[in-house]
Amino acid sequence: MLKVESLVAGYGNIKVLHQISIEVGKGELVAVLGANGAGKTTLLKTISGLIKASAGTVRFDNADITRYPAEKIVGAGISHVPEGRNVFARSTVLVNLEMGAFLRQDKAGVKNDIEKYLAMFPILGERHAQLAGTLSGGEQQMLAIARGLMSRPKLLLLDEPSMGLAPFLVNEIMKIIKELHREGISILLIEQNVHKALKVTQRAYVMELGQIRRHGKSMELLESDVIQKSYLGEKQNPKRRA
Amino acid sequence: MPEGTVHEAEVHAVLSARSKPRSNGTIKKKVVGLSAALVIALVLPQVVTNTYWLGLLNFLIIYSILCLSLNLILGFTGLLSLGHAAFYGIGAYTTAILMTRYHVGFLPAMLASAMLALVFSLFLGIPASKVRGDYFTLLTIAFGEIFRLIAQAWIGFTGGAMGIVGIPIPKVFGMPIRTETQFYYLGLILLAITFVCLTIIVQSRIGRALIAIREDELAAKSMGINTPWYIIMAFTIGSFFAAVAGSFLAVYQTTVTPSNFRLEESCLMIIMVIVGGMGNLWAPLAGVLIMTLATEMFRSLAEYRMLIIGGIMMLVLLFRPQGIFGSSAFKD
Ligand SMILES: Nc1ncnc2c1ncn2[C@@H]1O[C@H](COP(=O)(O)OP(=O)(O)OP(=O)(O)O)[C@@H](O)[C@H]1O
Ligand SMILES: [Mg+2]
Repeated sequence: MLKVESLVAGYGNIKVLHQISIEVGKGELVAVLGANGAGKTTLLKTISGLIKASAGTVRFDNADITRYPAEKIVGAGISHVPEGRNVFARSTVLVNLEMGAFLRQDKAGVKNDIEKYLAMFPILGERHAQLAGTLSGGEQQMLAIARGLMSRPKLLLLDEPSMGLAPFLVNEIMKIIKELHREGISILLIEQNVHKALKVTQRAYVMELGQIRRHGKSMELLESDVIQKSYLGEKQNPKRRA
Repeated sequence: MPEGTVHEAEVHAVLSARSKPRSNGTIKKKVVGLSAALVIALVLPQVVTNTYWLGLLNFLIIYSILCLSLNLILGFTGLLSLGHAAFYGIGAYTTAILMTRYHVGFLPAMLASAMLALVFSLFLGIPASKVRGDYFTLLTIAFGEIFRLIAQAWIGFTGGAMGIVGIPIPKVFGMPIRTETQFYYLGLILLAITFVCLTIIVQSRIGRALIAIREDELAAKSMGINTPWYIIMAFTIGSFFAAVAGSFLAVYQTTVTPSNFRLEESCLMIIMVIVGGMGNLWAPLAGVLIMTLATEMFRSLAEYRMLIIGGIMMLVLLFRPQGIFGSSAFKD
């Protein structure tokens, strides 16, 4: 479904991504892990057309979308939920959701989807008339995800949806991600919370300094020594927890 | 999920209420408000017959057109443009030159003026859509100053500091416009057209896109909004109507000089929009009214005028950061 090959991108003269290749199959839930500054956000931005690639290709459903402008990529079925809860602060929850469907023409379908996601995220249902900027951090994150879903994506790009959230809310978000996956949406998830990410995803890539260092089945990575040492530390050691 | 069903019903009710354009009550209120404003505007020259006050009303109209159009750029899209006076000036000079030198009629001259401003704003808007914040503002300042310098220095074409004088009496569909009252009604029609056009734009998906860009440009992009396109559109439409105001100024004053279009004019327009309130389409009109009256009242205190204008703005910002009728600033 998504096939990124030897992607090179960055900001101005600074190269951040060096020959990145990743793949997300239809209906797959895949994680990209990595330390701060590894280039995870840059990778998502390049896939969704917010940054132009300087080399390499991004293919989606067999079309070469590398040079597509961002709005055409949304139209093609990729939705990017950016890092850091970029909700439209001075608009209501409902208007935020409607904005997510900006490119859609089917009014009835949009209405149905709003109802669907307000039911899926009950907290948003209760607060549908509230200004998005006055929601709590967790609620804003839910809204950002729901809004991203409003374009009816085939592939959802999630950039650290659990950032800065309390453990309870992190679990809540992970549950939602699993639920979306069950509905058949392909998801590329970026997470700092390595342990949780490896638990929900099927496969994962580990990024370091703009390159893919490792990839494999999430369960296997979870067991692997390198990951244990460099990312999970002692506190989050799954064996100790279990 | 039992709670889920309660929710769905509630949400459904909200959504179906929203899917009608607006509830009857608000529509009625709007219609009543608008008709009242229209009636007052129409009978005003019958009550106010003093030429001084009529003249003031005509300047109110000019600034209203300017601030409505600036609000599209500043209030809705969030772009701080200090070049609005330049587009106002392009409109005024184009009309002045076409009418005095080439004997073009007023309406075609006005249309040509607005189109020319649109072309110039495209030239400025395309690079401006790539830079944001301070750089955008600097770019618009530079543009405004270049315009003013050309107007001042290209004596053969623009008349230099003396400007262009003796702009002929405009004829609208054969009817000459001479008196203050006639200018008032012509201005009112132009203001109404501006208001209707901008209302339609703001309530369409274009308005939605502009607000989204103002709120969060990155998120707007990831919703599939072609942000440069909408930024350029807001900028060019705003400049188009600024030129309409300029065109009206030219025939009303019968002269145009570079001093009509200084940076201070752009600043004054911004102050008017901020005082009236951004985001809300008609709110800047309150700012126009207050600031015009204030500048007039203190005309004799020429040196202190700007001080008073600044004072009013600071008071408003302190006590109502969103402007008198605005809705775009955060209330916390
Ligand atoms: N707009 C920008 N201009 C220049 N350099 C940037 C820009 N944004 C990011 N970078 C640089 O690119 C590198 C990768 O940043 P990126 O945001 O992709 O990292 P990340 O893996 O998402 O990190 P985090 O986990 O902290 O979000 C960093 O070194 C960063 O400084
Ligand atoms: Mg990041």
